[in-house]
Amino acid sequence: MTGYRLEWLSRRSRVQFAELLKVQSKLALREPYALLGGLALPAILLAVFGFIGQAQPGNVGSTGLTIIDLWTPTILVLSFIFISISLPNTLVRDREIGWLRRVSTTPLHPSRLLAAQLIIDLILAAAAVLIVILEGALVFGASLHVQILPFAVSPLLAIVELFALGLVLVALMPTQTVAQPVAGVVTFGLMFLSGLWVNPAQVGDPLRTIMYYSPSGAAVRAVLDSAFNAGPSYAALLTMAVYAVIFGFIAIRYFRWE
Amino acid sequence: MNAAPAVTVQNLVKRYGHFVAVNDVSLSIHEGEIFGIIGPNGAGKTTTVECISGLRAPDSGSISVYGLSPRKDRNKVREFVGVQLQESALPPRLKVGEAVRLFASFYSNPVDPDQLLESLGIKQFDNSSFKSLSGGQKQRLSIALALVGNPRLAILDELTTGLDPEARRETWNLIERMRDRGVTVILVTHFMDEAEKLCDRLALINHGTVRALDTPEAIAAQAGGSRVRFVPSQPVNDETLRAIPGVNEIERKERYVSVTGTGDLAGSLINALAAFGVRVSEVEARGGNLEDAFIKLTRDDASSVGKGVQA
Repeated sequence: MTGYRLEWLSRRSRVQFAELLKVQSKLALREPYALLGGLALPAILLAVFGFIGQAQPGNVGSTGLTIIDLWTPTILVLSFIFISISLPNTLVRDREIGWLRRVSTTPLHPSRLLAAQLIIDLILAAAAVLIVILEGALVFGASLHVQILPFAVSPLLAIVELFALGLVLVALMPTQTVAQPVAGVVTFGLMFLSGLWVNPAQVGDPLRTIMYYSPSGAAVRAVLDSAFNAGPSYAALLTMAVYAVIFGFIAIRYFRWE
Repeated sequence: MNAAPAVTVQNLVKRYGHFVAVNDVSLSIHEGEIFGIIGPNGAGKTTTVECISGLRAPDSGSISVYGLSPRKDRNKVREFVGVQLQESALPPRLKVGEAVRLFASFYSNPVDPDQLLESLGIKQFDNSSFKSLSGGQKQRLSIALALVGNPRLAILDELTTGLDPEARRETWNLIERMRDRGVTVILVTHFMDEAEKLCDRLALINHGTVRALDTPEAIAAQAGGSRVRFVPSQPVNDETLRAIPGVNEIERKERYVSVTGTGDLAGSLINALAAFGVRVSEVEARGGNLEDAFIKLTRDDASSVGKGVQA
């Protein structure tokens, strides 16, 4: 395996990867599922909640937070969800049409194709963090109280966990026709559990517990805590880490290139 | 052809579950030849070339490609083997030029992508997305991707399926030019005219085994033989005809007698009948035909296997 690692570092390998990143980015722009779902939709949603917040100033219930405060983390996680769910959209198709197999006949291992895709999606997720924070705080006045290090951990874990979930779908879905509706249902479930429609702070048990310990609910809770309380709850972080390990294991175990 | 063969396959076996796709295939391919693999659907052609290209691991047997193992030396082999896969598409919005340049970047010694597109007649589609191409253009792009790495061995599976006659002919010219440049070509096809025209040697595979391995002419002659139709000046009986060397089958229709057999059939018929004082007229001779040989060889298999399934 050392030969493989050395090859990664060679100049030619870097040139290959740069070309691959360039082409994959162009494709990401031409098939903008991740771009629209990950950046445009959250920006629009944030504006919607921003205006609602301006119409209904004051704190929500006993949370001590305003509407825009409360929903900014949810919308950030929503953006991660959409980016993750775009993974099966493109990768299942690329496998189904034989593209991954075609690439595997060349000196380039198709894992690089996956790596390039993940890097692009990671960049999109980072852009989403910037957009949501800037729009939420500067435009609509969310009272974010961010300490960089604890704050960095929560979205990062959320991204890892949700990307791993996206890869589980890539691994398990045989065709695009199956993947699309399944991805739709999963997206809807994650959106609900994240608290987009009903906030976990406002519902009773057991729904609140389910939401708190769901992949998206835990992400929202961790981001929310680290945005306002400066320390994310360890339970939420641990929940995400466990999901990341489980999803990662399933994705690796069942991943197929053809 | 004393040099070591470019590709050697020995006792290759590949199963999918209980189905034996390839059962003990052995063959060797010389450097610089166009080697055809023909056979009915499901005969094991594609599986054989997929094992040669390293896409599939054989269950047993050995494969050597320029002295290397396609699985163990995967990285090295992929450098100089170009593959065109049956039914493999590109992301719909990927553009022709992007795809070819991307693939060029994968190899250490690629050919110039622009020249390649030019020679394949698809330079004007450089900026067209894959989904907007016609079947023939997609096929040519697929060939371009197989050749852009400047391979020593090109494996082309179902190369001209779905092409119109004009595009097929252009593709054939292209393959011949490749051979002229010294590239070894493995061509999987079920078009007999294509195999007859292009291939230096052929392996006919059926039910996972090699049924014939020779030049197209030899396979055609060996199995089907040539056919001569003529009108004798006076009646000749079957025994007389059968006694003539090379004669296998005799058919009669009105005044015509049709004889199929091997060797210089027309010559020996005319000479032998002249000795009996029989002159022949309206002679029509047809050489050995690969298609006849193909059907005969695969039909023999079906009856000997006793399945009675049409291959």
